[in-house]
Amino acid sequence: METAAEIVIALLLVVSGVFGLVGSYGLIKLSDPMMRLHAPTKATTLGVGGVLIASMLYFLVFGGAPSFHELMITLFLFLTAPVSAHFVAKAFLHRNIRREEVVPARHGSVWAGYSPAEDAPATGEADDRVE
Amino acid sequence: MSPALIAALPFLGALLPGLMIRAGRDASALVTGAATLLALIGLLTHLPAVMRGEVVTAQFTWLPALGLNASFFIDGLGMLFAGLILGIGLLIILYARYYISAQDPMGQFYTYLLLFQGAMVGIVLSDNILLLLIFWELTSLSSFLLIGYWKHLPEGRQGARMALAVTGMGGLALIGGMLILGEIAGSYELTVILENREAIQSSDLYMPALLLILLGAFTKSAQFPFHFWLPHAMAAPTPVSAYLHSATMVKAGLFLMARLWPVLSGTEAWFYIVATTGLVTMVIGALIALFKDDLKALLAFSTVSHLGLITMLLGFGTPMAAVAAVFHIINHASFKAALFMTAGIVDHEAHTRDIKRLGGLRRLMPVTFAIATITALSMAGIPFLNGFLSKEMMLEEASHTVWAGSHWAVPALATLGALLSVAYSFRYIVHVFLGPERDDYPHHPHDPGFGMWAGPALLAALVIVIGVAPWLVEPLVRSFAGAVTAGDLPDFHLKLWHGVTPALYMSGIAVLGGAALLLAHGGLARLWQAAPRPEAKTIFDTVVDSAARAARAFTDALHDGAISRYLAIFTVAAVAVAGISFLGGSFAAGGRALLAVEIIPAIGWLLLVVATLTIVAVHRRRLLALVLMGVVGVMISLGFVYISAPDLALTQLTVEVVTVILLLLALNFLPKETPRESGAAIRLRDGVIASVVGLGAAALIYAIMTRDVSSISQFHLAQSYYGGGGTNVVNVILVDFRGFDTFGEIIVLGIAALSIFALTEALLGGPVSRRLVNWRYDMARAGDRHPLMLVVATRALLPIALVVGVFIFLRGHNQPGGGFIAGLVVAIAFVMQYMASGFAWAQARQNFHYHATIALGVLIAALTGLGAWFNGRPFLTSDFGYITIPPLNEFEWATAIAFDVGVFLTVVGSVMLALASLSRIARRAGETVNLEPMDVDPSKPGGRSERQER
Repeated sequence: METAAEIVIALLLVVSGVFGLVGSYGLIKLSDPMMRLHAPTKATTLGVGGVLIASMLYFLVFGGAPSFHELMITLFLFLTAPVSAHFVAKAFLHRNIRREEVVPARHGSVWAGYSPAEDAPATGEADDRVE
Repeated sequence: MSPALIAALPFLGALLPGLMIRAGRDASALVTGAATLLALIGLLTHLPAVMRGEVVTAQFTWLPALGLNASFFIDGLGMLFAGLILGIGLLIILYARYYISAQDPMGQFYTYLLLFQGAMVGIVLSDNILLLLIFWELTSLSSFLLIGYWKHLPEGRQGARMALAVTGMGGLALIGGMLILGEIAGSYELTVILENREAIQSSDLYMPALLLILLGAFTKSAQFPFHFWLPHAMAAPTPVSAYLHSATMVKAGLFLMARLWPVLSGTEAWFYIVATTGLVTMVIGALIALFKDDLKALLAFSTVSHLGLITMLLGFGTPMAAVAAVFHIINHASFKAALFMTAGIVDHEAHTRDIKRLGGLRRLMPVTFAIATITALSMAGIPFLNGFLSKEMMLEEASHTVWAGSHWAVPALATLGALLSVAYSFRYIVHVFLGPERDDYPHHPHDPGFGMWAGPALLAALVIVIGVAPWLVEPLVRSFAGAVTAGDLPDFHLKLWHGVTPALYMSGIAVLGGAALLLAHGGLARLWQAAPRPEAKTIFDTVVDSAARAARAFTDALHDGAISRYLAIFTVAAVAVAGISFLGGSFAAGGRALLAVEIIPAIGWLLLVVATLTIVAVHRRRLLALVLMGVVGVMISLGFVYISAPDLALTQLTVEVVTVILLLLALNFLPKETPRESGAAIRLRDGVIASVVGLGAAALIYAIMTRDVSSISQFHLAQSYYGGGGTNVVNVILVDFRGFDTFGEIIVLGIAALSIFALTEALLGGPVSRRLVNWRYDMARAGDRHPLMLVVATRALLPIALVVGVFIFLRGHNQPGGGFIAGLVVAIAFVMQYMASGFAWAQARQNFHYHATIALGVLIAALTGLGAWFNGRPFLTSDFGYITIPPLNEFEWATAIAFDVGVFLTVVGSVMLALASLSRIARRAGETVNLEPMDVDPSKPGGRSERQER
């Protein structure tokens, strides 16, 4: 039993190590920011996830008691990683891609990241504020 | 009544007039008078004991380590002065009630007056000279407020400033002198000092102490050449002049000389400095007084002259001269206060106090005339009035004083002074009240109401009583003078007729000469006006201006507004000091064995170095620099984790988050690039300085870390649980061992947050406001300020973050955490909401008052600290214990948690106030308020919410 657990834990650690390495390598290697975004978010999330599972297993089998800290870490990871990736992407769109270059929003919706003036070019310049 | 309470009563009473003024001016005057009267009664209960020669004392230890005790005593001298201060104070309060007009803030006046009164009583009753010095400075400050009471008058403000500058300077010298005196005597208690005459006079430090103390006394008592401030202080309302500049404050210098008379007098230096200064002041003051046309200026210079007279008597150093000095202090206070009040009545009724525009008031103001005549004749030294008696005694003493071998110098000059004094006293009567009635007074004069002349009339009655029946006050004078001379009194009797003595001849010459001088006054005044005289105010202003210019030049050189300059000066100075002590001392390398470098800290170290160097390289791009600063902060918190300092790590991490968020918000309104402002040479210089300082600090840390340093840590570790009731040493240090530091720190934190608020307030009022109104953001703005994802995520995180905050707070005493960290965590939880949905939107939903939160925090911490007092322990002593609530386990309770609540609230309030301030700037720059939590809500038709308001 313990040997099997050891093998599983080792396997998980190695796999997550590989994911981490690939993710970091991708961050340097990939050219476009949008592509680069995938490397740390996906690969690293998986990598960290592997370590967390390995940790839970370890404490369950060798630590004598189940450990739930890892679940909290997972929760926060699932909350923060997508949100920050989303914002990096939004910032990139906002800074580098003009409104005309993206497809129009469907179902009467809007592109949130662009200002209303850009979104509906017909309204013209925003009025000058003078007081 | 305890002497300490007598001194404290006016201070306590000072709180009342400002409140009672709402109930009317009579009520305000009444409470002021009540406080004074109470103190006076308390003082007089000790009169019998003091007359028997006893000394009443009261003592509290205050800062025994410094020799500073709140000790008071009443002896004859203290009784005399305290009686004068409180008694005349009572009359002045009555007089001021009718003098101060309805437009002036009377509550303020009485508050200042009582503050001053308390300070004066404090001076004369202090037993400890350090305490005396504190009261001495308080009189300077409170008299500054009183002289400048009419804030709208430039003369008032300038006069107040001059008085403060001169007496403040003297006070500084006095501090030096008193400290030397205390060092020689080995105690700061006057009663001890007064018994060490031989030790003090034989000490090498006697001369410096004497000079410094006399400098303080002379400036306060307006002795030549520091007499010039007193006439300028006459810009004050007349009650102030009558009180401060006749009876009390200017007598503080005399009091000091009289108080220290037993130990300082009797030497040649004392005689020549004090007696000569007094003599010169007496003659010069009288001479100037004769040619002043302003009634108050005349009285001011006559005061200078009489103060000179008393100083001279003290300077003679003989017991009989001291008796004369004490007697003249009483007499002068009585007639001069009354004279000032009559001058004020004339000014009040005729609307002028220019002698050239007055005259013939005899029939128009008969009561005032009678009072003024009695008191002025007393000042002139006419028989049957008290001024005559003390002047005779003065002339008697002068007549057998030898000055530098000359037998006639002092008597002749004293007679001249008396003669001039007669002349200006007669002038006050003749030129103001006698002569033909005029029809061009600025205002038709008549006698004032009873309330206004009651005070001076009482004093005039005293003048006559003492003048006719001096034996009535003889026991008092004997007791008062006995305190000055420390018991060594000659057998004397106060009486009218001493027989035909030299003093009588001198007196006769003075009266006749004075009258003759007045007859020739018109011609002499023209001569006086034509003669060149130094103008004291111009000289003073020149000196002050050049001193201010020099100070400004020096300050501007150090503080030119560039932070790099301050840092350079500070760090170079630190390196220089450290370098000198390093080269001067012996240095041996530390003996501790070095630890092996492990791989993980090495990586962290490398990251830190790289981040720091990158900041230097890219510091002009502010956003990038900020990100890198965040990296450095996170690395440092990881470092704390590595070396097992979880409290520090948590603090560092939370502080880092708050700092970065607030800086990001501020950067919104700042240029994103720092312009290049200095040349290559300057940058090289700054680089060298920075490197040297950095390497120096590193070397210092290395030196400390390579040796075993004994520190207080062992004590803290040992005492944490048993003494402080907590196993988290860091927290126990914060809330218990060093609780007072923490208390100070949260106050500083609160002040910093309030300063941010105040600065923002000032910004929004100034030219910056117009720039903000026309603000155009220099970066393109995103379409959704409040993105859906952020709103939803922070909403989900809020309860978790709050629970974490509470958890960290509660476990703080025993495990990593505590009020400070919890405050930051909760603040971050709030800040996230504000970032996600906008400040105004979030504030409308969690509206608590940030200023009040800060104040509440500090108050709770203070009250917790005060709680220890009720258990007879020092401030901030904490307590803890254990209770068991039946179904649960044993609980620990500790008072430290209440203190920690204070810390917590202050931190939350401060962070939120800083955020609110930044949001105010954004609002001024046109940031609109959204009415929906997010800008684009896909669940609603149309998506984009347009509901916004300015």
